[in-house]
Amino acid sequence: MKNFPRVLLIAAAAALVAAPFLTGNPFYQRIAALTALAAISASAWNLIGGYGGQVSFGHSVYFGIGAYASLLAYTKLGVPPIAGAPLGVLASFALSVIVGLPSFRLRGHYFSMATIAIAALAEVLVTNWGFAGGAIGLMGPASPRSLADLLFRSALPYYALFVAVLASLLGFTYLMQRGRMGFYLRALGSGERAAESLGVPIRRYKLYALLVSGAFTSLAGSLYAVMVGFIDPGSGFGILVSVNMVVMSALGGAGTLFGPLVGAIILVPLEETTNALLGGGSSGAAYVVYGAIIMLIARFSPGGLAQWWPLLSGKGRRGAA
Amino acid sequence: MMAITRRGVLAIPALAALPAAAEAAGTVRIGYIEPLTGNAAAAGQSIKAAAMLAVDIINTPHPDLAPMPLAAGAGLTRLGGAKVDVVWADNQGSPSVGQSDAIRLITQDRVVALCGAYQSSVTLTASAVAERYGIPFLTGESVAANLTGRGYKWFFRTTPFGPDFAKLYLDFLADVAKTGMATGKIAIVHENTDYGTSVASSISKVAASRGVKIAQTISYSANGTDVSPQVLQLKNSKPDVVIFISYTSDAILYMKTFKTLGYRPPIVIGDDSGFSDPSFAKSVGDISQGALDRSAFVAGKPGSLPYKVNALFKQRTGRDLDDTTARSMQGFLVMCDAINRAGSTKPEAIRQALVATDLKADELMIGYKGVKFDSHGQNILAYSLMIQLQGKGYVPVWPAGRATAKLALPFKGWT
Repeated sequence: MKNFPRVLLIAAAAALVAAPFLTGNPFYQRIAALTALAAISASAWNLIGGYGGQVSFGHSVYFGIGAYASLLAYTKLGVPPIAGAPLGVLASFALSVIVGLPSFRLRGHYFSMATIAIAALAEVLVTNWGFAGGAIGLMGPASPRSLADLLFRSALPYYALFVAVLASLLGFTYLMQRGRMGFYLRALGSGERAAESLGVPIRRYKLYALLVSGAFTSLAGSLYAVMVGFIDPGSGFGILVSVNMVVMSALGGAGTLFGPLVGAIILVPLEETTNALLGGGSSGAAYVVYGAIIMLIARFSPGGLAQWWPLLSGKGRRGAA
Repeated sequence: MMAITRRGVLAIPALAALPAAAEAAGTVRIGYIEPLTGNAAAAGQSIKAAAMLAVDIINTPHPDLAPMPLAAGAGLTRLGGAKVDVVWADNQGSPSVGQSDAIRLITQDRVVALCGAYQSSVTLTASAVAERYGIPFLTGESVAANLTGRGYKWFFRTTPFGPDFAKLYLDFLADVAKTGMATGKIAIVHENTDYGTSVASSISKVAASRGVKIAQTISYSANGTDVSPQVLQLKNSKPDVVIFISYTSDAILYMKTFKTLGYRPPIVIGDDSGFSDPSFAKSVGDISQGALDRSAFVAGKPGSLPYKVNALFKQRTGRDLDDTTARSMQGFLVMCDAINRAGSTKPEAIRQALVATDLKADELMIGYKGVKFDSHGQNILAYSLMIQLQGKGYVPVWPAGRATAKLALPFKGWT
């Protein structure tokens, strides 16, 4: 009984991972790459927002830092954009410490509001920061100088790269979930005061979670910049970047290992294909379909799709959510 | 949806195949990427209406538009009368979506060429895809300076861009200075996103290269609801010339605030965009008399090509062609002409035809001196005029050779 969902999961995962290599359609390959990328940032958000219950609407800050780090490294140092990714991760660590420590004193929606403010502030700062291209943004290499520039016509190399990063993130999450940190974070998520009174060092573990979460989000930003080859304040720090991470996690099931991935697998292809099928003809129809699906899920399955897992695998709820 | 899915699966052997294969004799498909939703949707939809008109002009005989290539006959004459078909893609104003659009249009819809994509940031990423696939990409409307000069082989631009506009304003002001009006103290007021900042910096750069100093630069957010601080700043420093790089609602707000605070700069220049938006003249036209604007498109005299094209557009949509829409439409027409001259839908043949483009002013529906690309793909004969709000609408006032009305300075505003 216990093995049933796991076998199913492994088979489904293998099929999903392999699918883009089997289709010869570049557009579907592109969707697969975008899905994997969205799953990285949503899963990264999930560490602090899902498990830890600290709903951040400001994760675009990390995404933007990563994206800008890679293209700044390219424009200012002339190195391949991907070489900027470690710099972005370092900057994200610094930000987590500087911003996390004071804002962790805030609880519930006050924390969320603080994170929105930080992201909005970052967007304005970068818009007015001439060194980073200001409002115009930064451009990646126009054509590949070497393989290290990671400029490919096909989306498959990006897909492979993104899946590798996603796998290591999910691997970390899996281990964390089973370890002390997972228990602490879940305790934190279900009741901060209760967790504290039980002796969970909440401030320290919030910081740990934010460090990892921010680092992977920053990495997602760097990968985005490498693939798209362009970043501006809106696509790096815009509120929609954060909202997408939250919505994907919520749809699939926040605080579960695969929830954000499931959310990304549903939402990204949905968005891309509705745009492809409806975007050219009747304007706005894509958004109507997209919005309706989100509303249906919010109405009938507010816990995300993860709440259907136990039903599908024929057993009741178990474990902490 | 099913059909596409099945085609996608069956396309496995076509993994390496280029989309060069033409649709037998029937149609030639061109991809057009525009913001059909989002905050630039109005512009995107207007461009869509204009491009559909262009398709109609090409596909059905329009002998009255004679000097215009492809107008007289039906379809692409050198491709056996093949019809032009546009596949639309909505870029939602996002550089990433624009990139997906380009991939989809090239690999799924098998378009032979791409046009678009309004926002310079989207044109940048979408044209990078076209470059990698070896598909010609032509923008008739994106003006950011960094688009050309990337060393791309497959990218072409028909519109004038930032430095051209800067030269236009400075030439115009130098001419005005000859009449004895002071033009030495220039203030630039620009909205703070990529459009405003990039045009403002182009103007400053060209001005510096000519030894003209920009006295004051004020940047503001176009979403603001009050611009009196900015207007008061201007009122204090009393510039001779104020150049606005603004979107619509903010441009309207500035004109209203001028009146409220009783301030009339001697020369007011608006950089297209907000000042060209039909709603600008409609809502604040009577208090903005004498405001100058740039435009590459002026309907001109009855019987002229621009006039006739504008009449056809008005018939369809009930409004006049604006500058941005007209520039995009001209770009699309240039692309169709090149495909026809190529006599083939092979990307390389189309590219070579684009490189060899040499259209004369009388073959165009817009006021360029012609279309001829330099090695970066930039049209070297692109051109704009200065127009002025007089009465209900704009009239061309400079340069003298193309003016239909007399330049009236200083800025009168309201009466």
